[in-house]
Amino acid sequence: MSPLAAMRRLWHSIAPRTPGDVEEEFRSTLDAYQEDLIRQGLPAEEARRKARIDLGQPAVQNETYRRAIGLRLFDELGGDIRYGLRALRRNLGFAAVAVLSLALGIGATTAMFSLIYAVLLHPFPYAGADRIMNPIMIDQQHPDEYSFFALTRSQLDEVRLASPVDSVLGFNASHMEITGGALPEDIWGVYLTENAGTFFGVRPLLGRSLLPSDANNGGRPVAVLNYRFWQHHFGGDPRVIGRTLEMDHAPYTIVGVMPRSFAFNDLTGVGDVYLPASLMRGMANGPSVSWLPWIKLRPHVTVAAANAVLEPIVREIKKQHSEVSAYHWHLALQPIIEPYQQDLGRTLTLLLGGVVLLLIIGCANCSILLLARGRTRQHELAIRTAIGASRWRIVRQLLVEALVISSTGAVLGVAASYWLARLPLLLSPDSFPAESVIRINLPILAFSVALALLCGILFGLAPALRLSRHDPARALPGRQTGVVAAPAKHRWSVLIAAQVALTLLLMATAATAIRGFLRLMQMPLGYDPANVMKVGIQLHTHNPGEWSRLQSREARAAYIEQIGQKIASLPGVSAVAVGIDATPPDADVQSSFIVDGSGDGEQPQARVILVGQRYFSALRIPLLQGRIWNADENTRGDFIAVVNRAFATRYLSSSNVLGRQLRIPGLTAHNRYQVASSQSTAWRQIIGVVGDARNDGVDQPVVPAIYLPYTVVVQPYAQFFVRTQGDPLTWLRSIRAAIASVASDQQISTSGFNGTFTLNEAIERDAQYSRQRLFSILFGVFSAMALALALVGIFSVVSYSVAQRTTEFGVRLALGAPRAHVLWVAARIALVSAAAGMVLGFALDSFLGAVLAHWMQNAFAGGSLFAAAALLALGALFACLLPARHAIAVPPAEALRSE
Amino acid sequence: MTKSIGLPQGTLEMLILKAISLGPLHGYGILLRIQQISGERLEILQGSFYTAIYRLERRRWIKGVWGESENNRRARFYSLTAAGTRQLRTETAKWTDMAAVVAGILSRKADET
Repeated sequence: MSPLAAMRRLWHSIAPRTPGDVEEEFRSTLDAYQEDLIRQGLPAEEARRKARIDLGQPAVQNETYRRAIGLRLFDELGGDIRYGLRALRRNLGFAAVAVLSLALGIGATTAMFSLIYAVLLHPFPYAGADRIMNPIMIDQQHPDEYSFFALTRSQLDEVRLASPVDSVLGFNASHMEITGGALPEDIWGVYLTENAGTFFGVRPLLGRSLLPSDANNGGRPVAVLNYRFWQHHFGGDPRVIGRTLEMDHAPYTIVGVMPRSFAFNDLTGVGDVYLPASLMRGMANGPSVSWLPWIKLRPHVTVAAANAVLEPIVREIKKQHSEVSAYHWHLALQPIIEPYQQDLGRTLTLLLGGVVLLLIIGCANCSILLLARGRTRQHELAIRTAIGASRWRIVRQLLVEALVISSTGAVLGVAASYWLARLPLLLSPDSFPAESVIRINLPILAFSVALALLCGILFGLAPALRLSRHDPARALPGRQTGVVAAPAKHRWSVLIAAQVALTLLLMATAATAIRGFLRLMQMPLGYDPANVMKVGIQLHTHNPGEWSRLQSREARAAYIEQIGQKIASLPGVSAVAVGIDATPPDADVQSSFIVDGSGDGEQPQARVILVGQRYFSALRIPLLQGRIWNADENTRGDFIAVVNRAFATRYLSSSNVLGRQLRIPGLTAHNRYQVASSQSTAWRQIIGVVGDARNDGVDQPVVPAIYLPYTVVVQPYAQFFVRTQGDPLTWLRSIRAAIASVASDQQISTSGFNGTFTLNEAIERDAQYSRQRLFSILFGVFSAMALALALVGIFSVVSYSVAQRTTEFGVRLALGAPRAHVLWVAARIALVSAAAGMVLGFALDSFLGAVLAHWMQNAFAGGSLFAAAALLALGALFACLLPARHAIAVPPAEALRSE
Repeated sequence: MTKSIGLPQGTLEMLILKAISLGPLHGYGILLRIQQISGERLEILQGSFYTAIYRLERRRWIKGVWGESENNRRARFYSLTAAGTRQLRTETAKWTDMAAVVAGILSRKADET
């Protein structure tokens, strides 16, 4: 049934008869009666009159009908709403301020709720997403450390047969190239076991998902496209189904396109194409491909129960791998949302707290406005009371007006929230699941409607109760008779104080966040990211002819060097260096090493960073002692090492660093695409010490690092760090051309870990950096809004009260009161309540400030309160004095005449 | 429609139910029937009549169907629903009981108290 039909049906059940129907029947009865009367001998006109006197007027019959079936309340509410709208239209300034105050709060709160809904409550598009688990192994000694594990296909089947398991998905990912065009294009292929379609339960946008039959004949060459890939590679062409996509020199038939919300997965990287698992060839040195599992539990199975059943199965499987059983571990099924919940949960709670404060401030503002304006409405309300309106009737009228304001605010707010909710995703894209899509949906609309009702009642009730209590006898005589109106109790002064206190809290929080962020930005990085770009290239491992040419270590290193030199020869490029996964502020993983003269039991750890010899000069990392290796040593790769200062201080006690020896036992090739030098694990002499450059995130202390020539273990990819004059991205085109002059089909990687971006972008992606920036910007915006609201509240209260006491001020001035005194009288109450609010705010902040800063993971808490307080005090002073000025601008004669 | 007996709350509804219980009637027909039964002693006009009709219809005790009146006029004919029949029965019983009790009290002589 369409919603319209449903509404019609609902209305029919409330009021089954149409107005025409009711009127026709009534007229028919009226006419019959009238004719009867004429027949009894009455003149026609007289009969008509009598019939109407006895039965009633046809014109009001519908009203009688509606009242009889209990619709009167609706009619009256409709009247109240119309009246409220009219009252708002008459008072546009007031309406605009009130509606905007609420729209800000409701918009921000709805935005935050929709973000929380999208990210934490409903982040995944999969069917039964809350039953999908990531199996992890937890180290019993270090419960924070967990690792994922892979299974072979037969092992996947073993897990699938366990009683608590509904189904199991296996996935793996691989770098691929789109071939057949002028330049190959790097994409990310995710292989899925062929039950993927039913496991995910996501309806494809076009075509179909992977089917079990795709496993036939060793895997049918079909591909399902990711939405974004489909958009940028095929321009969103709906006729793409059935077309052929050439990848790694083999044709694949496109059978489906997934919807935008499907972005599997964050663990291996979001796939551009999804392929049947049977197509995946062995890539590691091992005998067969292994698969990361996702386990979907049966409904109503608890995680604990499933853990207990699966643990022995996994333990049995893992017995075959000796390296795993070396330490004590236990199995845990982790809901797939959990990795996001921990960090994001806090972030979003904080932000939600901020917007709720903003909403409360907005509500307080509306209350203040209503109260202040209410004094001008006393006359009207007194008349209504005098002619018989009950108190409840007046309270209802005022509440309906408040609800009209809050609903208008809610409509504006929901519209604004659509954009507001995207802000955090834009500011900190990497902290959110790739699949969170912010959209306005039913739960969110319900939330904002509830919010609007709540706000309306919250800010409307106090003024309504207060204004409805007036004694008509006192209010009715018109203008107040006394010159000095007996000052009524100023309920709004409490509201102003509360508003100021909350605003101060928000501002202090924002100040803390901004200070923390500024400190973070000013922290020495140890390298110079300005005008440096990382350019990644991926070698064509899937093109047999080309690969055989680049398979040897020397050939590959020469190829990489040659490209580097071409880029360096470009005008505008001042330095080029090679680095392998060495993009600051992060660096490769930790490795164990052995230093000469150390005991056998120690297992010291350091980052092993593979770079070219010009890395340090290109990134402006200072050389502190000794020297950097030269080009020849770079080609050979062995016997030398450079360490950072942190390494020297921690492991070599700083004295006689040069000439010490170290070796890294794990430095070998781990798959068939890597090639290690002959002596890669042999002893190396430390020939230089460089300054500490951030390698564990922008805010973390630099960890000990060993720099080695990248030729020690060459990879099937490389990254160039290019320092240019001006914005590096403007040089991308000529860099592309330079690479093409070495090998015409060598593309630049544009996405993923090997992607191309500037070092400043790399900093912006840093988790801590983006979180601090998110807090600074959002809390800055929140507190600016709160400040504006609080000041508007103070301003309007003082304006109203000045407008109302014109006569009083005129008399004061006429009697010779000094202007300063009159000014003080006009602004006094607002100023005093603002000051009280500041004191309250200080108290609040001393309670909450530390907690908030801790939650923001901000190391630089405190001390920002005074700046915020000074700003707020100054603003409050202006907001009081600006309207109060009108009090002394009143010409006394005029004021007295108006009496 | 001249003599007036003030009607207690809810009585009009009962009278309408009774009038219809003898067979479907249109609005004016109900009025005439009530007057006829009461011996023209009831004054039930002044707008309250149709309010009672609407309320009964809302409670689904009576239901109206458009039809043709005796003098070829389109009119709405009301008849009792099953619920309406039940309601009339309980109301009648209640009313008779109460009338008997009240009449009993009022007819007592002073020495009997």
